Amino acid sequence: MRPSATSKRNQTFVVSLLVLCATLSIATTVGIVTILLTESYGFFSRIDLSDFLLGTEWTIGRSKNEADYKYGIWPLILGTLRITLIAMAISIPLGLTTAVYLSEYAPRWIRAILKPVLEILAGMPTVVLGYFAVVVITPTLLEPLGFKPYNAMAAGIAVGILCLPLVSSLAEDALQAVPRSLREAVYGLGGTRFDSVVKVVIPAAMSGIVSAFLLAFARAIGETMIVALAAGSIPTFTMDPRGPSQTMTGFIVEVFQSEDVIPGTIAYYSIYAVALTLFLLTFITTLIGQFVRRRYREAYE
Amino acid sequence: MNQPEFQVPASDPRRAKNRQAISKIFRVACMLVAVQAVVILIVLLTTVFVRGVDQLSWDFLTGVHRDDNPDGSGLWPAIIGSIVICLICGAAALPIGIGTAIFLEEFKPRNKTLRILHNLVQLNITNLAGVPSIVYGILGLTAFVYMFGLFGTYEANKAAELEFGAQRYYQVRTLAKTFVWIPATDKTVRVLRIEEPITARYPDGGDFKLNLIDRGATKPSDPTVLGQTVYRGSKASIFAKHPWHYLRLPFHKSVLSAGLTLALVVLPIVIISSQESIRAVPDTMRDAGLGLGCTRWQMVRTIVLPASIPGIMTGAILAMSRAVGEAAPLLAVMGGVVGKRHAPENLMDNAAAMPITIYNWARDDNPGFWELSATAIIVLLCLLLTMNSIAILLRYWAEKKFASR
Repeated sequence: MRPSATSKRNQTFVVSLLVLCATLSIATTVGIVTILLTESYGFFSRIDLSDFLLGTEWTIGRSKNEADYKYGIWPLILGTLRITLIAMAISIPLGLTTAVYLSEYAPRWIRAILKPVLEILAGMPTVVLGYFAVVVITPTLLEPLGFKPYNAMAAGIAVGILCLPLVSSLAEDALQAVPRSLREAVYGLGGTRFDSVVKVVIPAAMSGIVSAFLLAFARAIGETMIVALAAGSIPTFTMDPRGPSQTMTGFIVEVFQSEDVIPGTIAYYSIYAVALTLFLLTFITTLIGQFVRRRYREAYE
Repeated sequence: MNQPEFQVPASDPRRAKNRQAISKIFRVACMLVAVQAVVILIVLLTTVFVRGVDQLSWDFLTGVHRDDNPDGSGLWPAIIGSIVICLICGAAALPIGIGTAIFLEEFKPRNKTLRILHNLVQLNITNLAGVPSIVYGILGLTAFVYMFGLFGTYEANKAAELEFGAQRYYQVRTLAKTFVWIPATDKTVRVLRIEEPITARYPDGGDFKLNLIDRGATKPSDPTVLGQTVYRGSKASIFAKHPWHYLRLPFHKSVLSAGLTLALVVLPIVIISSQESIRAVPDTMRDAGLGLGCTRWQMVRTIVLPASIPGIMTGAILAMSRAVGEAAPLLAVMGGVVGKRHAPENLMDNAAAMPITIYNWARDDNPGFWELSATAIIVLLCLLLTMNSIAILLRYWAEKKFASR
């Protein structure tokens, strides 16, 4: 039997609708890139690119007078990196070990507890983690050690908690993909479980693990609400985690919060310039992640 | 002749024992680290619960935010605002997301240009999933709030260039100290000076002719007439009534802008999860449909979609629960609205939302609001828990239903 002419026409109509849906996601990307480029042109046409790329002071919105503004992006980048590095230092070891445990050791009943817990943590709204950083992490863990009420460390720890489920679930997928036969080969040679994990399984899953790390890194760079709540709002040119710091996302949120941003002013355009930097950083990280996964993936049959 | 390249060392019982010990220690260490996640979650939930549970009451759920008084403040407008934004987000993201997933999974084109589009969309979605949500917020701000400046620059309190359904009135106080409205024709005239009798309207409906008397003249004694009379030369100022069907371009800082922006944020998630559940439908079912002479679309509509709908819905609910918790794009699109006293009345209305309220309360100078923030978090987490359990139930139900086939 052949489809009737009407049903063929229907199909053509539906397929064109579907293509339209699909092009929307392309339009989103094009939209993001165009808006960031055109609007930040308003910023870069008024200030020197070298001031932006080399300056070590960022004071937009800090004084009444626009002439006093300083446009060095480095305090914001260092603020972001500081928090991201702390977050990575927490989420990578914890997440990887959790993944190893889940994939290689965990008995069924512990798995049945751990998996949902990780899912709940992964779905936790970031304002909640930010609140947690402000009311628990800072006062009980950090203030006794001489940290300021708003500091990079608390925000970094909270972002680390946010990234932990991401790292562990992606790394677990990578570990699970390593075939059983490799593990059995280790046991056959007289190796222990530890030998199989450390010397065979983890190296075999390395590309997946690394791309999990990179995804977590991109997520941590772009994280907004935690840093807006816990890190304070002063851009500082330092790597010291004890004091306040402002990240790129934190700056963007602060400008939106202040409500008196007028389109066309330099403060307004600076949002786009910062967002462009942020977008480029995350985009490059995601691209490297995809590259690593494709290039170094070990395919098993 | 055939010597092995390496030799298995003669078993040394002491070394073997050591290695066994290392393996055991490693196992315990792994478990201890893995349990950290449980500890973190317990500490987090207990803190929020202990701090917030005292203020949780019916009054909190139904009240509105008060600037000065944490004790009397409530969450009602934020709850409704969040739900409305989430519904708009779902109405926009689900059809588009599922449509894209069907296109990507079921209509792999043979045509060369379409195939390039196909690959491009697939690559693009993976990348979009990694874009920070605040960047989507900025996209939403430019695209939906200001509409790229196509309709003039944005100014607070200025009437929009293009609008549908707004009713403008001048409000004036009568001699009976009641207010009556005069329908406005020209929205640019902010203040109307009443110099001649004119048709007016009671706020609860009903037109009448407005009487005028001069200042100093004797007032009529009948209260009905008094309620229909104003002094000559009284000033009436304009205001707009926005019924539920009110629309305008650009959308400005409205729930519609917010919902559409969130739709962009969750779109990649919806697409990826729908793709997975469509992929899970076995090819034999497809072949059966095509073998009966269906077109591809008929096959998708009658076989693939019904079979994958539970999976798609599960993914959709999880995406929506992500949307409910998102704060950064809302902050970008709507600003830090917190003091809204009522739920949004139309799509163009601004609204408070739960994550933003939590954020603002957690930053407030008044420590009373910090505790209230915890209470709001309890409400938000309860909502998320409900949504997630629906998703889990749906998955469970689907597994049972399709296992019996």
